[in-house]
Amino acid sequence: MAFSVRLERLDKRFGRGARAVHAVRELSLEIGEREFFTFVGPSGCGKTTTLRMIAGLETPTAGRIWFGDTDVTALPPQRRDIAMVFQDVALFPYMTVRDNVAYPLRIAGLSRAQVDDKVERVAATLGLADKLGQKPGQLSGGQQQRVAIGRAIIKEPKVLLMDEPLSALDARLRVDMRTEILRLHREISATIVYVTHDQIEAMTMSTRVAVMDGGRALQVDAPRTLFRRPADQTVATFIGTPAMNVLPASLVTTPSGPAVELLGQRLAVGPRHHAAVQGLKQVEVGVRPQAVRLVAPASDRVRGRVFLREPLGLEDEVLVETESGTRVKVVTAAGEEFPEGAAVGLELAPRDLYLFHPDSKTTVCAGLD
Amino acid sequence: MRQIQAYATLALLFVVLVIVAFPFYWMVLSSVTPREALFQPPYKFVRLDFSLGNYRELLFATEFVRYFVNSLIAAVGAIVLNVVAATLAGYGLTRFAFAGKKPFAFGTLFSYMFPPMLMAIPLYILFSALRMRNTYTGLVLAHMAISLPLNIWLMWQYFQIVPQSLEEAAWVSGASRLRALRQVCLPSARPGILSVAIFSFALSWNDFTFAFILQTDRTMFTLPVGLASFVEQTGVHWGMVMAAAVLVSVPTFLLVFFLQRYLLSGLRATG
Repeated sequence: MAFSVRLERLDKRFGRGARAVHAVRELSLEIGEREFFTFVGPSGCGKTTTLRMIAGLETPTAGRIWFGDTDVTALPPQRRDIAMVFQDVALFPYMTVRDNVAYPLRIAGLSRAQVDDKVERVAATLGLADKLGQKPGQLSGGQQQRVAIGRAIIKEPKVLLMDEPLSALDARLRVDMRTEILRLHREISATIVYVTHDQIEAMTMSTRVAVMDGGRALQVDAPRTLFRRPADQTVATFIGTPAMNVLPASLVTTPSGPAVELLGQRLAVGPRHHAAVQGLKQVEVGVRPQAVRLVAPASDRVRGRVFLREPLGLEDEVLVETESGTRVKVVTAAGEEFPEGAAVGLELAPRDLYLFHPDSKTTVCAGLD
Repeated sequence: MRQIQAYATLALLFVVLVIVAFPFYWMVLSSVTPREALFQPPYKFVRLDFSLGNYRELLFATEFVRYFVNSLIAAVGAIVLNVVAATLAGYGLTRFAFAGKKPFAFGTLFSYMFPPMLMAIPLYILFSALRMRNTYTGLVLAHMAISLPLNIWLMWQYFQIVPQSLEEAAWVSGASRLRALRQVCLPSARPGILSVAIFSFALSWNDFTFAFILQTDRTMFTLPVGLASFVEQTGVHWGMVMAAAVLVSVPTFLLVFFLQRYLLSGLRATG
């Protein structure tokens, strides 16, 4: 049986006085049994520190950590029934692959036959059967990471922790390993807690994601919800590639109700958002590059010039400079239409716009309709 | 052109080899030269009238074996204590945060730069008070005092290049701190440990100052002191001194011969 993991007002400070760093600030969240839970955020956001506290490698300054009904806050890593995959792989260089993978079992005191049997099975699962006699230094980066994963899953941990396990691999291999880790998650019965700075990894693998910044979880939700209903501007711009455009706009009152004036165009705010925008004068509008369409320039549209066009294959990334000088990034189908320098019109769909509060940057409404 | 360069390099190496090796050759040659022939011209670079008389006299008519055993005990003691202390200190310095860590580290280097001679008199007084003169314990501690600072510094450097995550991986695998140190950390630091062992041996084996000051009893003399006493007696028996020098070199030679691989990697890591 896997454990649920509950963090209760978890707090961590490093150092003292003027040079103290407040790495994690009163973090509370619950990770369900057998969930694939990811902490994502820029470097220094506290995600790795949080993971290391769950592992028992760092002691929280305050707060508690629960595995199921057990308070593990004071338990050392050896007694937490966890396994961990490290960013730098951390294989024992003087041991063979077999000894590396078998290490947790040897410590647990299993018999030779039992150890051999399990090692063979894990090696087969990970495609390492013919590498068991080699030293880690003789393996490629991807194979090393597989060995590290093998060492982690062999003792069937209740909680499997992974600290940016793919960041040292090249792009191609990373995609392959993503699939492999997902397959593992289905096969083993462990709660997986995963840390990455790569939002694509977070979005594609996890059942739920915590977006961290400055030691806080800005939002904890399923990947799709993070994308569709981001809690604030930081989450909105962090999730999705290329990053969301954020443009200044003002709110005006018209006879038919409030409207947003964006790039010289007036867009009505749907009735369900009237209460939310009440009293606001200025807002910031978020537009995903995929939510803008390039059309022929016309007087009732936002007009601009194509400033830069980067072919990405199936799609092109286009940077448009509007008449007011604002630059908007657009993702559009690859093609010859609207080359660099051409005049162009922008079509914004109201339901794909996000309004952010100008000061707190929280999401005022997701979708204008 | 490239060939000429290669030959020039070889020639240069040969010259260096001759300069370095000739004294050793002369030492070995003199040690097997019969007593009467040693100062009898013409002096020869090659001779066939070998004699083991010097060795026989050295081993059976002097206290040489006694000195050799004393030196060996001191060296082994110094190696063991240095390796244990320097390893633990180096580990502690890299893995634990404690107050006064920086002053300790600087103090370590500073005390290494301290000329050992300045410690001789204070150590004599201290060890007299502790009744540790003419004991192996005292000698080993004295030798440790001169080599430990550099050894700690060496191990400190070594443990810095052993990634912390290796140990953490062992911990989450269930290994205790000591087990992780033994099975994961120490194998990675082995070249450092061997460097410490060789350095401790060399300092102890060659030490004259402390052995001379602390070991006043003839039966407690170490090799360097014992050899010097051969010279002080009226009429230096050079053949025997050369034979002793040859035997003194043997352990050093063996040690370096078998451990040179680690010694070199040790120098590279800290260089």
